[in-house]
Amino acid sequence: MIRKIFFPALKYLILSMGAFIMVLPFLWMASTAVKPPSEVLSWPPEFLPRHVTLENFRTVFATAPFVRFFFNSVAMATLCTFSVLLTSALAGYVFAKFRFPGRTALFILVLATAMVPFETYMIPLYISMVKLELVNTFIGLLAPYLIMSYGIFFMRQNVLASIPDEIIDASRIDGASEWSIFFKVIFPMLKGSVGALSIFAFMQTWAAFIWPLIITSSRELWTMELGLGMFQYRFTVDLGPINAGSMLSIFPVLLVFLLMRRHIIKGITLTGLKG
Amino acid sequence: MNRMELQKRIFAYSAVIPVVLIFAFLRVIPIFQNFLYSFFNSTVVDPMQEFIRLENYQELLKDNLFLLSLKNTTLFALFVTVFSVGLALLVAVLLATRTKLGGLFETLYFLPVITPMVPVAVVWKWIYDPTYGLLNYFLSLFGIKPLGWLVYPDLAIWAIIIMSVWKVIGYNMIIFLVGIRDIPDSYLEAATIDGGNKFQVFRFIILPLLKPILLFVTIISTINAYNVFTQVFIMTSGPQGAPGNAVRTLVFDIYENAFRYFKTGYAAAEAVVLFLIVLLLTLIQLRTGGKEK
Amino acid sequence: MKRTLKWMAIVTMVVLMVPALLMAGGGKEAKPTGPVKLSLWGGFPEMEAFYKYAAEEYRKTHPNVEFTILTHPLREFEQKLSATIPSNTAADIIEISMYANQKFIEAGLIPELPPKVKEYFLAPSRFSEFVKKNNTYKDKLYGLPIFQGRTALFWNKKMFQEAGLSGPPKTLSEMAQYAKKLAKYDANGNLTRSGHSLRLSGQGSGVAEKFWFILYPMGGSILEESKEKGKYHAGYNSDAGRRALKYYIDALYVDKWDSHAIKHDADAFELELTAMFFRESWVIGDIAKKAPSLSYDTAPVPADVRWGRITNPVNLYVTRSCKNPDVAWDFAMFLNEEKNLVWLLDNVGWLPVRQDINLDSVLAKKPQFKAFVMSDPKYEEFGYTVIAAFDEIMTKLAERLVAAFLDKSLANNPAGIAKVIQDAANETNEILKKAKLYGE
Repeated sequence: MIRKIFFPALKYLILSMGAFIMVLPFLWMASTAVKPPSEVLSWPPEFLPRHVTLENFRTVFATAPFVRFFFNSVAMATLCTFSVLLTSALAGYVFAKFRFPGRTALFILVLATAMVPFETYMIPLYISMVKLELVNTFIGLLAPYLIMSYGIFFMRQNVLASIPDEIIDASRIDGASEWSIFFKVIFPMLKGSVGALSIFAFMQTWAAFIWPLIITSSRELWTMELGLGMFQYRFTVDLGPINAGSMLSIFPVLLVFLLMRRHIIKGITLTGLKG
Repeated sequence: MNRMELQKRIFAYSAVIPVVLIFAFLRVIPIFQNFLYSFFNSTVVDPMQEFIRLENYQELLKDNLFLLSLKNTTLFALFVTVFSVGLALLVAVLLATRTKLGGLFETLYFLPVITPMVPVAVVWKWIYDPTYGLLNYFLSLFGIKPLGWLVYPDLAIWAIIIMSVWKVIGYNMIIFLVGIRDIPDSYLEAATIDGGNKFQVFRFIILPLLKPILLFVTIISTINAYNVFTQVFIMTSGPQGAPGNAVRTLVFDIYENAFRYFKTGYAAAEAVVLFLIVLLLTLIQLRTGGKEK
Repeated sequence: MKRTLKWMAIVTMVVLMVPALLMAGGGKEAKPTGPVKLSLWGGFPEMEAFYKYAAEEYRKTHPNVEFTILTHPLREFEQKLSATIPSNTAADIIEISMYANQKFIEAGLIPELPPKVKEYFLAPSRFSEFVKKNNTYKDKLYGLPIFQGRTALFWNKKMFQEAGLSGPPKTLSEMAQYAKKLAKYDANGNLTRSGHSLRLSGQGSGVAEKFWFILYPMGGSILEESKEKGKYHAGYNSDAGRRALKYYIDALYVDKWDSHAIKHDADAFELELTAMFFRESWVIGDIAKKAPSLSYDTAPVPADVRWGRITNPVNLYVTRSCKNPDVAWDFAMFLNEEKNLVWLLDNVGWLPVRQDINLDSVLAKKPQFKAFVMSDPKYEEFGYTVIAAFDEIMTKLAERLVAAFLDKSLANNPAGIAKVIQDAANETNEILKKAKLYGE
């Protein structure tokens, strides 16, 4: 009897306490976005604004063409996500289920490139872009984000964990070609991990800052993050507009998360483990 | 090789090679170029100006700031990985059991992952404030005196560890939820029919099946922790920032060497060392955890 | 569900790809005839409004010029320059300080001032001697100044009045005395309001720079030029350096008018958690927005054995990839016209570098700028030594100072203080030696 009430109560208590601390910066961001400048600086910080205003949002749109930036970010993140999903699923599947000479070395190589911080090799990459005349182009902007080492690693692990060899062999015996096996059998079975990967890829591309900053030389190609950087002054940050802009910026990523969530957590229940 | 084997080979290569080629161009070649610079007295203007072989590396081993960064980063990586993986697993398992408002909780736990760094830094600097901070307030309820979280070097590193764990739990949690969801229901039904209680099901069914995922999360957590930069930079910047050297990490040191002091070759050597360390750790983890079923 | 998702995906891709690819920003060069395109990149986003305004004004008399103005946060901007200047893909005009540009100038990647601009720059009383020296490298001139950061003392009039103080301190020792009177404590003896808000922590060179504000009047400096021109050594391993460090230690642990536990800087001043602090002129605009009813004024930096404040000028450079350098330099000189500089001060808050202009209209509205623009033959200017290694020197000194400020044992400990200064100076000299710029 106690168990029926105590454990669930404990669970909800832990989850709620955690959730509170998780959501705090988000709440502060939302409240600052609608505060007038005179209220932004309060100490200790006040979460409830005394006056609610849309002035910060107006400032954001008046400073630069943020609609364009938003569009660019959406286009960039969407395209890169599709590219990452395709390349990661394919490569991950091959690394998991096929043996060929050089497989391990190649896989370690892929993984190894994730261990090097981007800022250390972005200048040589930029120079390559110059040579290919891809500076200040949409393709140049997308380039580094079309592929994701973690993505390949992640899909490989998920294939290993959830796709039994028998299914593949059965399909081969049935006469299906390798490519159709991949698209018709494997890919659908990876719904959950594809969903998760799409969130991660979208998020990572959306948040890109230093590369877009270096590769672009015209406003038309700027992304939301670059636009928000315009509110980072030399010695202060203009908190009102930057939080208003951040609210706008977080929205698509959150949307992708909510859309994909249903893919990931279909049904939630694990039978026999009633909470 | 029979026909099926041949078809398999062709598929494998034709699927992997394009990806690898793109990889080579976007990652391997630039990384290799940077690796070359480490053998020169490079500057950003003339990266291959003076071949000095291993001098950069020798100097690196004597550099106190590098050694400090190495120590800090290792400490950081160890604790962040252990806590963020462990807590994320806990949360994922709690949420995977039938939980009311489960969707809401997942979203809330994921929020830190996507909240931009500026609001995150402002709020955490407040949480850590010695006088009005939430953390000290919370601790005072247990009779603990106020601590200077971002003031004193030994505390500052813990402050950033806590914040980093906070930021990444949601990310790991999603991965675990995917893994748990993919466990066929039949396995779990069979287990409970056999009379196992919840903890036994967890230990003997779920955990082993999650192994590849657990391995993945641990490896990428380690890699990411070793590569930490943005939150360290932002928590130490500004007039109320934490003491720089206390939380000096490897990527921060590389950044300073490359872009503040313009010692491109030296920074490249440091990046190579960072890479080797992480590679070693990853290989160890793959070896110990990666025995496939 | 899967099919609809698939279709959604395809449709989205098509819808997004077509316009996006059509509008891919120009990488190819424009036709030879047609409008003149000028691009300007800056590292101070708050200057965006100024450049936009000036560009529109310029187009009134030069309608064929089209501008692309991009401002970026400084740290990333410097990284961008590292990638674009050596590869000749930088903008036509870049806005950056001399010492940050130093490595490119030394590598011969930045063109010097053309004769017309040189003449403009050297016109009598247009720019101070300090600025002229600052922009010189190996007897050639680089960069046309536009705005600068200068320091003054901000002080809270109401708090001074309440403490019975008639005006701002004129000397550093007065400042410490006043700070002691203005500090407030709670029942447990903890500081709740600092008398003066010092810069005690944070990464980068800021701590060293603010330390210099006190070091300089006391007679020291970060670097001193040696007898051999172009060579330097640490300028603070002296009485001045030790006194300056003692000033901070006494403030924290002896007289206790500042502490690590409270808020600092502009935020603290605006929240009335401090009575004084040193900062640049941008604070004036910040206070107007966030704490408009604050009763405050500004004053020159207090003196000691000498009198001086830091000056950090920012320059405009026309890069070698510029296709229309005449127009570019013309615009740079246009930006320096009086009416534009008046607009700059009024709307952005950074100070113009040019001295032969009349700023009275702004000073009448915002008298707090007076302490920044005032000049006096005895009020000296000092600034960053224009060598590539300077940032490293400052950053490493800052890191040592941050550690020293946390060290209680330095209170009433002249030997300890001397050691800290000695070790720091040794490091500075080592850096100079490695850069082959050391001289006794």
